[in-house]
Amino acid sequence: MAGTDVGTERRRPASRGAASTWAILSAPLLWVIVFFVVPVIMIAIYSFGGISGLSPNDIAEWTVTPWKDFLTSNTYMGGLHVLGKGLFWKSVRMSTVVSLTSLVLAYPIAYLLALLAGKRKYTLLLIIIVPFLTSYLLRVLAWRVLLNPQGVINTFLVDTTGILNGPIDWLFNSQFAIYLVLSYVWVPFVALPIFVTLEGLDVKLLEASADLGASRWRTFRSVTLPLSMPGAIAGFIFVFIPTIGEFITPQLVGGPGGFMFGSAIQSAFTVGLDWQFGSAMAMFLVITVAILLAIFGRYLNVRSVAG
Amino acid sequence: MGQFDAVLGNPKSRRQFLRAMGGVGAMGVLAACRKESATPGATGTDTGTSAARPPIAEETGELQVHEWSGFEAKWIWKDYAAKGYPEPKFSFLSNTEGVIAKTQGGFYWDITHPETGYIQDYLNMGALQEWDTSLIPNFADTNPALEAYGQIDGKQYEIVTDWGYSGVLIRTDRMDPEVNSYSYLFDDAAAGHIGWFDTPWIIQQAAMVLGIDPAQSFNMTDDELEEAKNYAISKAKNVYSIWVDFTQMWDDVRQDNIWATYSWPDAYVVLKEEVPVQYIRPKEGVLSWAEGLVLRSESENYYHAHEFADAWLDAAVGTKLVSLWGYGHSNLNIDLAEIDPDVVEVFGLEDPETNLSEPISYFDRYQPERDKYNRAWDEVKASI
Repeated sequence: MAGTDVGTERRRPASRGAASTWAILSAPLLWVIVFFVVPVIMIAIYSFGGISGLSPNDIAEWTVTPWKDFLTSNTYMGGLHVLGKGLFWKSVRMSTVVSLTSLVLAYPIAYLLALLAGKRKYTLLLIIIVPFLTSYLLRVLAWRVLLNPQGVINTFLVDTTGILNGPIDWLFNSQFAIYLVLSYVWVPFVALPIFVTLEGLDVKLLEASADLGASRWRTFRSVTLPLSMPGAIAGFIFVFIPTIGEFITPQLVGGPGGFMFGSAIQSAFTVGLDWQFGSAMAMFLVITVAILLAIFGRYLNVRSVAG
Repeated sequence: MGQFDAVLGNPKSRRQFLRAMGGVGAMGVLAACRKESATPGATGTDTGTSAARPPIAEETGELQVHEWSGFEAKWIWKDYAAKGYPEPKFSFLSNTEGVIAKTQGGFYWDITHPETGYIQDYLNMGALQEWDTSLIPNFADTNPALEAYGQIDGKQYEIVTDWGYSGVLIRTDRMDPEVNSYSYLFDDAAAGHIGWFDTPWIIQQAAMVLGIDPAQSFNMTDDELEEAKNYAISKAKNVYSIWVDFTQMWDDVRQDNIWATYSWPDAYVVLKEEVPVQYIRPKEGVLSWAEGLVLRSESENYYHAHEFADAWLDAAVGTKLVSLWGYGHSNLNIDLAEIDPDVVEVFGLEDPETNLSEPISYFDRYQPERDKYNRAWDEVKASI
């Protein structure tokens, strides 16, 4: 009986807990359903002509034409014979490079803060984050001032010091500029999840490794790095997902070569009145991101990243 | 929510949509939208003659004007304000395509300001009604060649207020003004110093360089479009910038980064005192744009809207618009003595009726296959 009573007592709070959990979650869930899930479903239906009439060029019946046009286009997707050359792959390349660069730059910062900075780590973390409280657009525009042919860097190298005879061409209106600025923008967002993972690391494991004779490098390679991988993967995802649809930064610093897959989606909606085609491209991007999340999610321990 | 109106107004689309939405349990959303679809805005074109309307005193007077940023300046509608009408409520647009989409989605305005090439798009949506030009005294002073671009089937759906050329600005210390052609924009000799605006009109300008009739450039055959696109792609390597922000283009011309660029005359007005530049109206003919005021089909401020349009067309407004911003104005009585003679020459203001007609100028017009042009333009940009 006692056991039964205890069980009942346990069930009651659990039941109340479940109810209160749903009560708390219902508002955000409703928000996500109404403002994310439903719109995404609508865009999917729109891309097949199930909804039409919002743009003058819409096909007013169920159709796969927008998808066929997109998937077979050399420009947007790259046909089989030019695999890797479409705008989609150009954006994938950009996102991959930026994500990896951000990861490489952010890891030492996170490591320093979490394991070496001691009591000052939160102050230092705040200092790193503070510049990112300003407008995203302003920060990107500031890079234009630094990088352009008459900018701070070229003026210093050419006019002030005379080190160079002319401005560095690849510094601005180039793929390099896109990678540099986007990496700068996203480094703190990669550093944060790695920091949280490293901060939660059991220091005794590092001590045990040292006690067993491992060098610092060996300890890092065999203990610290594997245990911090969830944070690194989360950081990679944090960067990859938003940058794959980027079009503002490439437009501002990438020059004529800054036309990306996100730019094409934006252009289809706002210039071409080509909404069904734009919807097909947007849905393809959503599906790609969902698949990537599913793959990476298998290797991601959310609790370790969330602290 | 209102963007469902267009869908719900079409029985076939509505059925498809209801089926689709059933899966996600969004019937409540639909119910709300059904209610909204019964409101004015989902229907019709002309809503009656001016004689059948209530007099101006019975109108709400809350004129909603969806305008380009800057055109809310009070000096533009000072005559309207002087008559004691309530201040219009301005909202701002960034491009006409966006307004078409928002309008289709239920966004309301009494007056907006599209380019003439988009009037047919609005008409197709049933969003416009005809102006009664007899209620606009200043209309009699406007350029008939220009106002003709605001007509469809003989009806004046747009009061053309302002216009401009999409010609070429060159630095005369770098480029030869005698060439006088859109070929500046594709010139290998200026490699790395050419500016394109982010518009499919670049392909049309390429077509004109290749000898395609400028009027035909708005509705090219697939072969012509392919040829022009490939030419633009072959010259894309010469481009320094495909600009969106015109002030950035101005800076690039100032700094010698750009030697030849697609531009509007306002760039010339701003830059001519700073750097050696010349505005080119190419020998092939110059692509041009005109824009003006269109009136919403269900506007409850019909007479207020006409008063507002009349204020816009005032000659003094035109003089200031040309002098200050470098835009053209449709009033033929603008005071040329008040305007820089050099600007008068560049605009061709001494004979606007001739200069704004073919074969000198080719104005923007309805493009039924705009999406085809846009995809071709995407291909040009993706090639870089």
